[in-house]
Amino acid sequence: MNTLTVTPDFSPWRQGLKDALPLFGGYIPVAISFGLISIQAGFSVFETILISTFIYAGASQFLFVAMVASGAPLPLVVLMTLLINARHMVYAPNIARYMDSDKRWLPLMHGLTDQVFALALVRLPQLPKAHRMAWYTSLGLLAWFSWIGGTALGALAGDTLTQRWPLVNEALPFALPALFAVLVAPRCNSMLWTPTLITAAALSMLSKIAGYPNAAIPLAALAGTIVFYAMKAIQPKESQK
Amino acid sequence: MSQEMWLTLVSIAVGTYLIRLLPYLWMRKKLAKHENNETTPDLPDWLTVSGPAMIAAMLGSSLVPVHLTIPSWTATVAGLLATLLVWSRTRSMGLPTLTGVVVFGAVKVVLG
Repeated sequence: MNTLTVTPDFSPWRQGLKDALPLFGGYIPVAISFGLISIQAGFSVFETILISTFIYAGASQFLFVAMVASGAPLPLVVLMTLLINARHMVYAPNIARYMDSDKRWLPLMHGLTDQVFALALVRLPQLPKAHRMAWYTSLGLLAWFSWIGGTALGALAGDTLTQRWPLVNEALPFALPALFAVLVAPRCNSMLWTPTLITAAALSMLSKIAGYPNAAIPLAALAGTIVFYAMKAIQPKESQK
Repeated sequence: MSQEMWLTLVSIAVGTYLIRLLPYLWMRKKLAKHENNETTPDLPDWLTVSGPAMIAAMLGSSLVPVHLTIPSWTATVAGLLATLLVWSRTRSMGLPTLTGVVVFGAVKVVLG
């Protein structure tokens, strides 16, 4: 996934902000929805903003609010939300080789969401080592503030916003699949990777349509990995490059 | 919010942070050992495959429209094709993403 270009004379801070723009567009409408739903579930504006600030994981936040609103036992709420987030375990090991042992990376791991990981996996290897932390910090902060700001907007004025600009609210979240498509496309360049990635994408889509949105991503990624091994086993080595 | 609810919120927040942090610490330790020995770490295949596979899975999942109607699917396909077309010409991130959003929104308006 290394065919996206980086201009040679760039500031890593500016590049991080530029790369985060699709996240900004994608996060705000979803965060507005979360803010709105959280208020409707009985949380205050302050509590809603705290949830987004400190949990900072979209799917599990929606589940948290829904389970609490339905009166589910709190230990079960903790268990289920953490299970949903368990997929994040493979993110840091994938990008750790592009980082160093600087202690400042430790708090930055709070910002390692699905989308930040997807961008980091592609972008970090393209950047000089000295620029990586600045780029990641810039990207991570804009994404985090978008999520918190969108949540606050949704909590304070979600109803009005979604009624006044329904199309913007509906179209902006498409920034996320569009971003993922741009990140996946460069990898689809061999008979090893193309079936792997198509399998993962197709299975995830089907699982979500079938009503399993939370299991869709880890299960589909696992299936894609199995396809990778199967293709590797049946293909001659020279065609795997 | 009750004390139990605060405890729940803190548990989820700390748990989520640790899920993101601990694997980083584990891998950094592994990498540091190799750096000290001036060797290259032998990363397992499943690890290097799981990253791109996760992103592909996120793509598939995020493409499913909120309302499973023909206009929504048409807008999704049009937005995706427009994104990939612009990407194939520019090999950049910003413009293809923006084009995808605009085409998706335009098709939604046209088809209602």
